[in-house]
Amino acid sequence: MVEELTKVFPGKRKRPDKRAVDGISFHVKRGEIFGLLGPNGAGKTTTIRMLSTMLIPTSGSAMVLGQDVTKDEVRIRRRINLVSGGERGLYYRLTGRQNLRFFSELYGIDPHIRDERIDRLLELVDLKESADLRVEDYSRGMKQRIHIARALVNDPEVLFLDEPTLGLDPEIARDIRALIRRMADQGTTILLTTHYMFEAEELCDRIAIISNGKLVAQGNALELKDSVNNATVIHVETRDDPFEAVDVLEDTEGVIHVNYDRVPGRFITRIQVEQSSDLLGDVNEVMRGLRVLRIGYDEPTLEDTYITLVSANEH
Amino acid sequence: MNIRVTYAAFRQQMTHFLTDPQWIIPSLIAPFMFTIVTLMIFKDVDGPIVLQAVLGGGVLGMWGNTLYSSGWSISYDRYNGTLEPLMVSPTNLMDVVTGRSIWNTLIGLSNAVLVFIFAELMFQTGVGLSDPLQFFFILVITLASLASIGLIFSAFFVLTRASSVLMSSLEFPIYVVSGAMFPISILPGWAIPISYILAPSWGVDAMKIAAIDGYTGIGPGILGSLGIMIGLTVLYIIMAKWFFRKIERNVRNHGTIGRF
Repeated sequence: MVEELTKVFPGKRKRPDKRAVDGISFHVKRGEIFGLLGPNGAGKTTTIRMLSTMLIPTSGSAMVLGQDVTKDEVRIRRRINLVSGGERGLYYRLTGRQNLRFFSELYGIDPHIRDERIDRLLELVDLKESADLRVEDYSRGMKQRIHIARALVNDPEVLFLDEPTLGLDPEIARDIRALIRRMADQGTTILLTTHYMFEAEELCDRIAIISNGKLVAQGNALELKDSVNNATVIHVETRDDPFEAVDVLEDTEGVIHVNYDRVPGRFITRIQVEQSSDLLGDVNEVMRGLRVLRIGYDEPTLEDTYITLVSANEH
Repeated sequence: MNIRVTYAAFRQQMTHFLTDPQWIIPSLIAPFMFTIVTLMIFKDVDGPIVLQAVLGGGVLGMWGNTLYSSGWSISYDRYNGTLEPLMVSPTNLMDVVTGRSIWNTLIGLSNAVLVFIFAELMFQTGVGLSDPLQFFFILVITLASLASIGLIFSAFFVLTRASSVLMSSLEFPIYVVSGAMFPISILPGWAIPISYILAPSWGVDAMKIAAIDGYTGIGPGILGSLGIMIGLTVLYIIMAKWFFRKIERNVRNHGTIGRF
């Protein structure tokens, strides 16, 4: 339960204070996967750090498992754990098993339970064969898997995952997502931050979108898409690079946001426009001269919704 | 204090030491080099000055190792990104640092003993101890006092990565002011009060009383110096505990824990 949670980092050397999280409120139900989505610097990691007791909020309140993150940090820490994305967070000179054993000791796990749990976790993350190799010899994907195993040594009731698939190749990221789903199925409450829309859509029961430290929307993926009912999307596929057309469209009245990607053999441009504006003809006009493969209205995806909400908040 | 956490940290530090060659230089090679250089300077002298040199080499080994390893153990966590999972665990960070310091202390102790044996074998220093057991006991307590200073340094490493500047700049002054190499009596007057508030000064004093004939010491004999050292060490541990608590609160407020 998070109520009006705010974190302000005091400015140093005459720099202004930084309001990283600005009065956000949300509630995560037991056993659900709750996603925090937002651009870089939106306040996702700061939020997760406050909830995992690493940071003290400036104001507002946050209760994790019925305990106050400011005052009851030791009680909370016994029942939660945290995984940060990236390769850091492990002792590289120790083996995977030694890392798990060390972190188990920090939680005072009974030795019998500890050894059995470590074996089970190594199996869960598919590292049983590599358990006695030093972590410095692990690939990036293996490091991320042992990270997750490390965070499960205390059998946490709440697990905070801060961009757990950051920088991983698609196959390993898919394995990690499957692992997260399995943990949730076993009853662990998961709070996840991610940049990847498909990941949020695939995993999260509910999602909160944060921008500039503020919570701009929350709900399940469908509810979020419905919440932006004043926007629609024009989908254009071209053989030629539409970068000049994109520049023109960005300045066109009624256009909320334009993004385009290069995929093998073509360019995909998605133009979010206000629903009241009929811009299909204008887009056709701007795209004249390019080899257009397909053009038409499309249903907004979670990414479109996200961009609409974040852009609206930033402007 | 959580014994299991402390023991786990001890084992972890031992594994790091045995698998990471970078520890060998400050822990084993540097004190030997220092002793060799010192003994070569004093090669034409005998008696108490030689003992002072041997003692200086041994204490340097203990102090350098304790300070370097204890201070850097937190720095190493910061570098590895393991300070965050340590902070998120329900354990007291000081228990972890204490376990690591105990390992460092043992290495420092073995290092000091090796320096004494080496000096005797290579330079025939002729240093004889009337009561080796008593000397060894003082050595162990002195090491514990050095480790307690290391604990205070560790707390500052939780606060900021810039603590390495503090640690590096204080390594030799503390070594000199504690009287390990030169008698405290020849230090400038303003430095002597600093010597008195440093627990290792009293340990070195007790060791000298035990080893050097005719040395009367700066304090009230071996037992007196030992008592003062133990008292100061307890005070340092209480201070370290207080610093750890305050600093943890500080980093939770400012969010500096993940920086490296």
